[in-house]
Amino acid sequence: MPKANGVALKDMLAVVAGKTAAFAIKTFGLGLASNLPGRIAEKMSPKVLSSLAAQAERGVIAVTGTNGKSTTSGLVASILQAESLKVVHNRQGANLVAGITASLVDAASFCGRVDADYCLFEIDEAALPLVAKATPISIVLVTNLFRDQLDRFGELDTTAKLIQSGIEINKSTAVLNADDPNVAQMVATCPRLFYGIRQLAVESTVKEELSELSYSPCCGVEYEYSRRFYGQLGHYSCPACGKARVEPQIIADQVNVGAVKSEFLLEYGEHKLKIELPLPGLFNVYNALAAAALCYAAGISAQAVQEGLCRYSTLFGRSERINLDDKTLLIQLIKNPAGASQALQAAAADKDGQLLIAINDNYADGRDVSWLWDAEFEQLKDKKGPFIVSGKRCYDMALRLKYAGIESGEIIVEPDLSGALDKALAELPSGKTLWLLPTYTCLLELQKIMKARGCKLSAT
Amino acid sequence: MELRIGHLYAHYLNIYGDRGNILSLTNRCRWRGIETEVKTLGLNEDFADDYFDVFFIGGGQDKQQQVIAEDLQARKETIRQAVEKGAVILAVCGGYQLLGHYYRPEGAPDLPGISLIDAYTEAGKRRMIGNVVIKRNDGSTLVGFENHSGRTFLGKEVEALGSIVVGNGNNGEDGKEGCAQPVGKGKVFGTYLHGSLLPKNPRLADEIISFALSRRYGQVDLPALADGLEQKAHEYAVSLKA
Repeated sequence: MPKANGVALKDMLAVVAGKTAAFAIKTFGLGLASNLPGRIAEKMSPKVLSSLAAQAERGVIAVTGTNGKSTTSGLVASILQAESLKVVHNRQGANLVAGITASLVDAASFCGRVDADYCLFEIDEAALPLVAKATPISIVLVTNLFRDQLDRFGELDTTAKLIQSGIEINKSTAVLNADDPNVAQMVATCPRLFYGIRQLAVESTVKEELSELSYSPCCGVEYEYSRRFYGQLGHYSCPACGKARVEPQIIADQVNVGAVKSEFLLEYGEHKLKIELPLPGLFNVYNALAAAALCYAAGISAQAVQEGLCRYSTLFGRSERINLDDKTLLIQLIKNPAGASQALQAAAADKDGQLLIAINDNYADGRDVSWLWDAEFEQLKDKKGPFIVSGKRCYDMALRLKYAGIESGEIIVEPDLSGALDKALAELPSGKTLWLLPTYTCLLELQKIMKARGCKLSAT
Repeated sequence: MELRIGHLYAHYLNIYGDRGNILSLTNRCRWRGIETEVKTLGLNEDFADDYFDVFFIGGGQDKQQQVIAEDLQARKETIRQAVEKGAVILAVCGGYQLLGHYYRPEGAPDLPGISLIDAYTEAGKRRMIGNVVIKRNDGSTLVGFENHSGRTFLGKEVEALGSIVVGNGNNGEDGKEGCAQPVGKGKVFGTYLHGSLLPKNPRLADEIISFALSRRYGQVDLPALADGLEQKAHEYAVSLKA
């Protein structure tokens, strides 16, 4: 195979074809070009992902896990930029092989040159082994492992196995959540770095009826907790075999969670950094902590970590605030019980805020809506209505609210998302916030609606 | 009146939204002025065979299933006695499988069931995942979502919960879903339907409530509830493809 400047001709042609497709898609307004260019490039040269990614000076780093992949990798990108490093990042959140290839094609020059220090990929749990086979990944961060899309993966243990095999392929350094027993037990054969929360400034008061899975893997017995943050995350130990949380190296302490921003003390090597994170909710503290731990494994300076976290600007639909005249829209993607319960906790804490919840059941959302029954909608019981529900499964959502103890009269059902948004904004008093919680394909639809209304959005 | 609900292994078999079934039973009683008591029954927990009116047992992952199967053996007689004296049991997915004689996993020893119904389950190669609609004998429909690789076969005398309109059901072969089998004075409902099952199938929820109440209160006529949202959600689910 002839090579030009060290890049195989076949790969160059693949890049050109992918870029041409992306140009056509964008020019004709057919979409974001986040997948198809990758698929075309792959068809022309199956090795294109491998040869483009290999050009990153400091290698490939990856973020996987159930919740927080996009925000965590966004935070990592922000930190790397603060360190003046060049990053290729699939920031549109297309996290299967095609999406990752598309982000490389986009970043490459027409002759197939990628000028970057790092390739930073958020990777779907099931796609991790495929990407790891195509290109060596030096560091893999695992955020958490909650039940999610069981219609796709079958069982939680299956997901865990996929992630483990993805890490083991390259004996990558694993950056793991010490507080999540499902994650902390992974890949004992690889180098590991742990992160975790030491203590909240105010203990969580939310009572979780039936929480996430938390059993000791060896004996199948339920873990005991001395501190529990949410879901199965906390300081745990097994009463039967004594297996317990490992002491993390990267630590968040004195965590003060707010509805707009959170503050905490980050222990980063010998540095103690005061972090003011411009994101709501405890789940985002975990995202920031995870991002810091990944950067620690990559040898990034404390100063860049502090700057990158404090100056972060949100991605579309991930705790993003949009101002509409004198009202605020806060958009938070929901997709599984743990994430939704966290978003609901944040929304319930905003006394004057109102809610619009939009549920679809397309493949990307998970075709089964059973998970709605495991999310803590009971947290909304004492909140003032109305509650607007939308999406294809709006009646399932309405039913969930009714059985969470909300009066039927307070529930407004509007299947059409644009219409639901109008109703919600009309009901919302001036100066207040509408918490909009969509599933994934509802979020994509919302993006189109906002664009059509001429609303300025964060980059996606 | 009061409905006493025993939620078996709530902390272990909680993976699939099945607690919506408990929410359905408690709310539909509350809206009618009927008190409810929900007691979570864990491992090594004994209970009297004449206390509970309804038992619920949900689905879990294979690993939890083993722990439960072991514990259930110790409670086998209590549960049988309770049902024969008039209690109702609703079991979903993994819980349903353990009510039969055994569950035979692929390449591992059998998990013993409690033989409350004449049925057995064997692991299949194909995972059956998708929307389900079934038709009951009275012509009414039930809707839900299935996700299982176990294939359950009912004995000749055992009545199925319904026949398949959309989806796979018990085993993907004989067109049957679940079981609805009288045992003594009581009744055993088993099913693969998540969703959760009862919120979107309020008719079945009420059937279970009135049957369970009759154990201690004789025949109970439940006043109708405003089920507009339940009907809409049910109708939408009926329209879905597998």
